[in-house]
Amino acid sequence: MRILVLALRRIAWMPPTLLGLIGIVFFISRIIPADPARVMAGENASPAQIEALRQKFGLDLPLWQQFVNYVSDVLSGNMGISLYSQRPVAEDLIGRLAATFELAIAAMVVAIAIGVPLGVVSALNRNKFIDQVIRLVTMAGLAMAAFWLAILLQLFFSMTLGITPVQGRIDGWGPDSITGFYTIDAMLTGDGEMFAKSLWYLALPTATLAIPAAATIVRFTRAGVLNALSSNFVFYQSAMGLPRRTIIWKYILRSALIGTLTQIGLVFGNLLAGAVVIETVFSWPGLGLFAYNSILQSDYNAIMAFTLFTGTVFILVNLLIDIAQTLLDPRSRA
Amino acid sequence: MTKFVPLSINRRTALMGLSAAGLIGMNGEALAARRKFVTANNNPYDILDPHQLFDIGRIAVRLNMYDALTRWVDNPPKLQMWLVEKADISPDGKVYTFTLKPNVKFHDGTVMTSADVVYSMERILALKKGAYGLFKDVVEPGTTKALDPRTVQFTLKAPFAVFMAVLSELWVVNSALVKKNEKNGDWGADWLSKNEAGSGGYALRRYDPAVGFQAARFEGHFAGWGKNPIDDAEFRVVMETATRVLGVMKGEFNTTDGYLPAEQMARMKENPNIKTWEAESIRTFYFIINHWKAPLNDVNMRKALCYAFDYDGFNDKILSGTVVRNNGIIPNPMWGAPKGLKGYTYDLDKAKYHLAQVKNVRPLQIGAMAGYPQSEQAAQMLQAGCAKIGLEVKIVTEPYTTIAPKLNDRERAHDLIPLWRSAYFADPHNWTGFLFNTKNFDAGNASYYSNPRVDELCDQALIVTDQEKRRVMYEEVSQILVEDAAGIFINNTKFHGAFTKNTKSIRFCPIGDAQDVRWIEMEG
Amino acid sequence: MKAVRIFRDRALLIGVVIISCLVLVAVFAGPLSTYPDHVTGFDPNHRLTQPGWQFLLGTDRMGADIYSRLLFGARLTILISVIATATAVIIGVPIGLVAGYFDGWASEALMRISDIFLAVPQIVLAIAIAQTLGPSIQNVILALSATYWPFWARLVYAETRSQRNEIYVEAAKAMGASPLRIMALHILPNISGSIIVRTTIGMGATILAAASLGFLGLGAPPPAPEWGRMIAESREFLPKAWWYATAPGIAILMVVMGFNLMGDGLRDVLDPRLRRGGSDGK
Repeated sequence: MRILVLALRRIAWMPPTLLGLIGIVFFISRIIPADPARVMAGENASPAQIEALRQKFGLDLPLWQQFVNYVSDVLSGNMGISLYSQRPVAEDLIGRLAATFELAIAAMVVAIAIGVPLGVVSALNRNKFIDQVIRLVTMAGLAMAAFWLAILLQLFFSMTLGITPVQGRIDGWGPDSITGFYTIDAMLTGDGEMFAKSLWYLALPTATLAIPAAATIVRFTRAGVLNALSSNFVFYQSAMGLPRRTIIWKYILRSALIGTLTQIGLVFGNLLAGAVVIETVFSWPGLGLFAYNSILQSDYNAIMAFTLFTGTVFILVNLLIDIAQTLLDPRSRA
Repeated sequence: MTKFVPLSINRRTALMGLSAAGLIGMNGEALAARRKFVTANNNPYDILDPHQLFDIGRIAVRLNMYDALTRWVDNPPKLQMWLVEKADISPDGKVYTFTLKPNVKFHDGTVMTSADVVYSMERILALKKGAYGLFKDVVEPGTTKALDPRTVQFTLKAPFAVFMAVLSELWVVNSALVKKNEKNGDWGADWLSKNEAGSGGYALRRYDPAVGFQAARFEGHFAGWGKNPIDDAEFRVVMETATRVLGVMKGEFNTTDGYLPAEQMARMKENPNIKTWEAESIRTFYFIINHWKAPLNDVNMRKALCYAFDYDGFNDKILSGTVVRNNGIIPNPMWGAPKGLKGYTYDLDKAKYHLAQVKNVRPLQIGAMAGYPQSEQAAQMLQAGCAKIGLEVKIVTEPYTTIAPKLNDRERAHDLIPLWRSAYFADPHNWTGFLFNTKNFDAGNASYYSNPRVDELCDQALIVTDQEKRRVMYEEVSQILVEDAAGIFINNTKFHGAFTKNTKSIRFCPIGDAQDVRWIEMEG
Repeated sequence: MKAVRIFRDRALLIGVVIISCLVLVAVFAGPLSTYPDHVTGFDPNHRLTQPGWQFLLGTDRMGADIYSRLLFGARLTILISVIATATAVIIGVPIGLVAGYFDGWASEALMRISDIFLAVPQIVLAIAIAQTLGPSIQNVILALSATYWPFWARLVYAETRSQRNEIYVEAAKAMGASPLRIMALHILPNISGSIIVRTTIGMGATILAAASLGFLGLGAPPPAPEWGRMIAESREFLPKAWWYATAPGIAILMVVMGFNLMGDGLRDVLDPRLRRGGSDGK
């Protein structure tokens, strides 16, 4: 019952957050620029075209009225037309969502697979040499500019050794779209070669994104295990004479993992944000590359829609993770 | 009446194309051995509408999937009659009457008629994008007439000697198909941005803005086909220079863009599977000087700038000699560029001398194009030179889409803008009258340069049709522009082609580079 | 426990050393550099030269000495991160204090707004703002301060909530101190430790974000020796010019690491409540 209430409370918090997000984007796009119509029309527009746009989008209305219109537009899925491609921006963005998610999820999996064991090892060997090394590497992982790491990896693995593709999502055309995830679609269509290829293209961008994420996970896991180790509960258990191995596997790891899980929302959010920059280096055709191209073309509607869209995805993902956590964490069941 | 006789377009190859048509397609063996040609391009094909695109970077869409009334080939560029069988021009140079070739088919099998040409012209004038700037001064909406299904007539507002030349950008769309997909009077802009309605050598098969496009050879193309033509033309978007180069070296791509840094070209030249060649193009790089803003209206100020730019340092060192020094605005290989035109040199003493005579010197601003390293580097070069004569220069970077409109707004325009003038049509007017005629203030003359003699010559050259007479006029214009230091003229671009060895008969043309796939032969 | 303290102190020490170096380099960029005029100047004859005795870290696409530019870039880095972080602190701390001290709809509203900011990736918002304003150093600073203040607002809010019922606050109230006085003179000093820790780590985050904006072309225009921009420029010349991106990348790495180490170390010294059994948790 309590879980339900908690979950409902989180869901109830959604609409105001989304409204707030729309408000921020509205502020950036309509209030910061001196003349939003001019910015939106693109620099090529004639005064008449700008005036037409002002009329069309009601930019001559009072601000509150504009805001109401803006909200209702966004809620009905209308994020404006790209100045550049003349297509509805929402369409382009949805088409690119799968690429970004495939990358972020792959990086998440790798980050957990590396981060959790390293965190546990680090905690169990606290202050020994191996712990110090792991902590130093973690520090560096968090302090690195991801786009720089990406270039280094390209330089070494692709250009010097020639074993990975420099960039791109696939060599040419992907598998027939079912889910939009190349790896999964390739598996579903039973195309082994395509599957291997898509994994190969995923390698470097995934590694770039996974390294800082893994560093974060190492830190949280280590802290979680250390906390569990120092708890009275464990002290009591070992006093009872339970073997150390059992304590570690059965109690410490479990509580540490739950602690880590609570951070996954944060980590996944960072991954999505990181993808924005990384995608431009690897020409990964997701949301980030879309944003970068829009920046280059001063495609104003597209950038604002991207902000809104990414923000919404971000909020939704965090909501889902929150709810999942509420369901999984025994402490909240009490 | 001046009559244009159509050039024979490879009659021999046309015949061969016909016989090949009977064989290929039905035969499984032939299908398996489809010749595929992949180009790695550095411009995203985020839109396919031939009337919204105008740049050379994405010309592959237009050249390969569409046809226009005329077409440029080879270097130096020659104008071919393409969709047109016969052209009549009225003695006053205002009425152009064209007879279309019979049986030109669109990809859906519809026969092209003059109504399609009329629709295409009206569409360009209505959308006001792409090649609009070429036609807006001479063609009014509603004045293009379909006299009969194969005859179309243009009535111009004024004589325009380069009209035939700019018709190469009147890409004809299948009007019935586009009309069927119109939404709220958008001229089918939404639909045509991701579909194709052309008659060109290749028909769109796959398109993904993130990947590029693939087009299959259109067997029924009116011009026929040569020996061993490419069956599948694929254009991929590959933004990273290193990937494009690596891809060609590995044979994943057959070619890439022709404007790579010297270091990358050097890597390809060493590769045994690649053949490279270079050709002087017609694309001049120069600084626009905004004459509207004082003290840039002072010829001494402009001369000081011209003497403060290190031409050799830029062309030979920074760009490692991948370009050719061009003293004037008209590219060297183009007729109308005076032989032995004396340009400016890097001479700080002269620069100081001229600067000393300028009153009210103020810091200047360069608007460099973001994402175009050469534009940024030229800005830095000029800034460093000016610093040595005690002139302060500030650089801002903006995307071209932000800079372009300011070009037509004298107050908001930057003082100086380093950019290219590409060939949209191969006629000296492209570099002179268009850029420096007072008439074109706010519409092409981004320098706000005004000289009555230049205006007179440029106007005259659009009325006279004899090329020899026009040449003399343009040579004089070119000379005056240098004397007036109307801009800082720096170099002419060289095209550096790199192709896999199994390709041949590539025809490079400055208008479209080497992206016209229909001419390319490939070994089985 | 002792070993932990030593490591901790060592971390702080290393952090302080790195940051001091950064400041020294920024201040003495002129005398330390081998080609002081290469901030705007260059030498086309030595374009893309490998690192060596003449050019310690090689040269860039214009033939400018990367080592010298790197030193001057430190100034830009400090300028951007200090102003942006300071602005974020100046906006965020009062908001957090007021919202934490008072109850009511206004406090609630302020916190909800900062929550919304925190719900979206900072870099995404910063891109939108920087794009709206146009590329320049000032606008990078503006974009970063506008997106980073909620971190401080959140932190100070939580801290103030936990402090406002403490006895010393009650005592001040009883003596008739005004809310402003209580917030500024009583609560603020008590929570300053965690603000300093957050700010130190925030500096690192700001440097990374500023470099990302520079990399995307939204930062300072050329020839500004901005580290992110230098890395972006190098891409066209890979793999030949491997040194081009290497040096600025390492510089960013070192500086951000310096701030993080310093922040971690300061946390132990200034914020003892967080020193739980050597935990690394934030």
